[in-house]
Amino acid sequence: MKLPFLNKKDRKLGISDRRRYDIPLEKGAGGRFLMLLVCLMTVLGMIALSGTFALSAMKDRWTSGLENQLTIEIPAQDENGNTIEADALKREALAVKAILDKQSGVTQARILSDKEMQELVEPWLGEDVILGQIPMPALISVKLAEGHPELLDKLRRDIKAAVPAARLDTHEEWLSDLVRFTGALRMGAVILALVIGFTVVVAIAGAIRARMAEYKKEVELLHLMGAPDNYIAIQFQNHTLRLCFKGGLFGVLIGAVALKLTGWIYGHMDINLLPDFSLGHIHMTMLAALPLLIALLAFATARRTVLSILKKQV
Amino acid sequence: MIKFEHVGLRYGIGPEVLSDVSFTLEQGSFHFLNGPSGAGKTSLLRLMYLGIRPTRGLVSMFGQNINGLDRTELSPIRQRIGVVFQEFRLLDNLSAFDNVALPLRIQGKNEKEIRNNVNELMDWVGLQDHKNMLPNTMSGGQQQRVAIARAVIMRPRLLLADEPTGNLDDEIGHKLMNLFEQLNRMGTTIVIATHDQNIIESFGHPTLMLEEGRLRIEDRKTWLAKKMEGVF
Repeated sequence: MKLPFLNKKDRKLGISDRRRYDIPLEKGAGGRFLMLLVCLMTVLGMIALSGTFALSAMKDRWTSGLENQLTIEIPAQDENGNTIEADALKREALAVKAILDKQSGVTQARILSDKEMQELVEPWLGEDVILGQIPMPALISVKLAEGHPELLDKLRRDIKAAVPAARLDTHEEWLSDLVRFTGALRMGAVILALVIGFTVVVAIAGAIRARMAEYKKEVELLHLMGAPDNYIAIQFQNHTLRLCFKGGLFGVLIGAVALKLTGWIYGHMDINLLPDFSLGHIHMTMLAALPLLIALLAFATARRTVLSILKKQV
Repeated sequence: MIKFEHVGLRYGIGPEVLSDVSFTLEQGSFHFLNGPSGAGKTSLLRLMYLGIRPTRGLVSMFGQNINGLDRTELSPIRQRIGVVFQEFRLLDNLSAFDNVALPLRIQGKNEKEIRNNVNELMDWVGLQDHKNMLPNTMSGGQQQRVAIARAVIMRPRLLLADEPTGNLDDEIGHKLMNLFEQLNRMGTTIVIATHDQNIIESFGHPTLMLEEGRLRIEDRKTWLAKKMEGVF
């Protein structure tokens, strides 16, 4: 029942203008604690989920960049450890390139220039390195057309016949390591998400049990007036839904700020180990749906807990 | 319509608080429940409003054997019973209006019907101006009237009241007793647990006498004779 002009003084006098639940569930600090817990769980959930998205995106980017590509390396030393002359190395590289150029499935074959080689070794040997002073292999970057699975074996045979020391690197080993690594990280994120879900369920069930014990008399009264279990469960589940949705919303806001801050810090650290990553619309929607998901989980847990407790009563 | 057959009740491993209680209350009857403190009046009322189940014996309400019913099947039966508790048991977070409206809301009545019925009853118990007050800001008498209004709003088939006039002055007490009489004339079976000899005498309904956990029914004549002998 709504009263149009209810002020603070009226409330102090004990005039009530609204009834949300029959049981005084909005009293006490328990609700605020639950809201805080859900808020923190949502922040953790957001970080775990964002991590999963980021890892998936990175893996996709890395693998798509290296798919249908291979590198052919002609070592700068022979099998006895003797350095091969630069001219001889160049000739061998040109011979390999000639084989590649003749293949219809090869879309590009390019011998890496001295400048490119310099750039490759710079992170390890420094800017002042003079290529002529150290034995450097010849590298040929090759791009293959899609849909030629037999081509790789043929290239391997032809190139080995022409230059026995040449090595073909399809990046497969490195890629599979990377996929395994990101897979393990993603599994970790999934386990974290499960732990978060489990924590929410346990916390809600505990809170509901405490509330049911606290309001035992009120619950009994409703029963004595003929309230079916469902009527009582609705009160607890709706209250829990509201609290957890609120907590989840705060959590999403805090999580969004945390993610933004992390992105900003990473952007200013000048680290090139990981490619740039930004959340797409689908990812954003999934993260924004997190409070609803947690609230629904809490709702279902609250309902189940209340009904299981009521089942044991007279 | 309400039948107790050899009903016994004990709490835990304690002694029997009710022993071999048997009686039948016809639909539309009016009884007082009397007896010394600790005789088991509240326990008997608890059995009647289905707050507990008997340790032994058979309880039948409105033609249904309660012993054989599942707990979920008790709700519709409880909805036909109005209870005025000795300690009122109002919900502190709800206004007087919402406390009275509770049984209607439990039964899913629409808000218009609830408003009309509750306002009418709040008028009748003289609390129209207090309907938005919370119980803990009301006097004992006012709270009792709210509790009575809540018990009768559904026009129950059985009304159980535990010392309903205990906190009321004589005038309002008699007024409320007249409300119970009125309900009784409309077919509600009424059982009122009271120590108030004046009320028992004035209204003259048969009395369920509980002594040391055993029950007997006394008509007005017997009850008055015992009173004259100074039994009470």
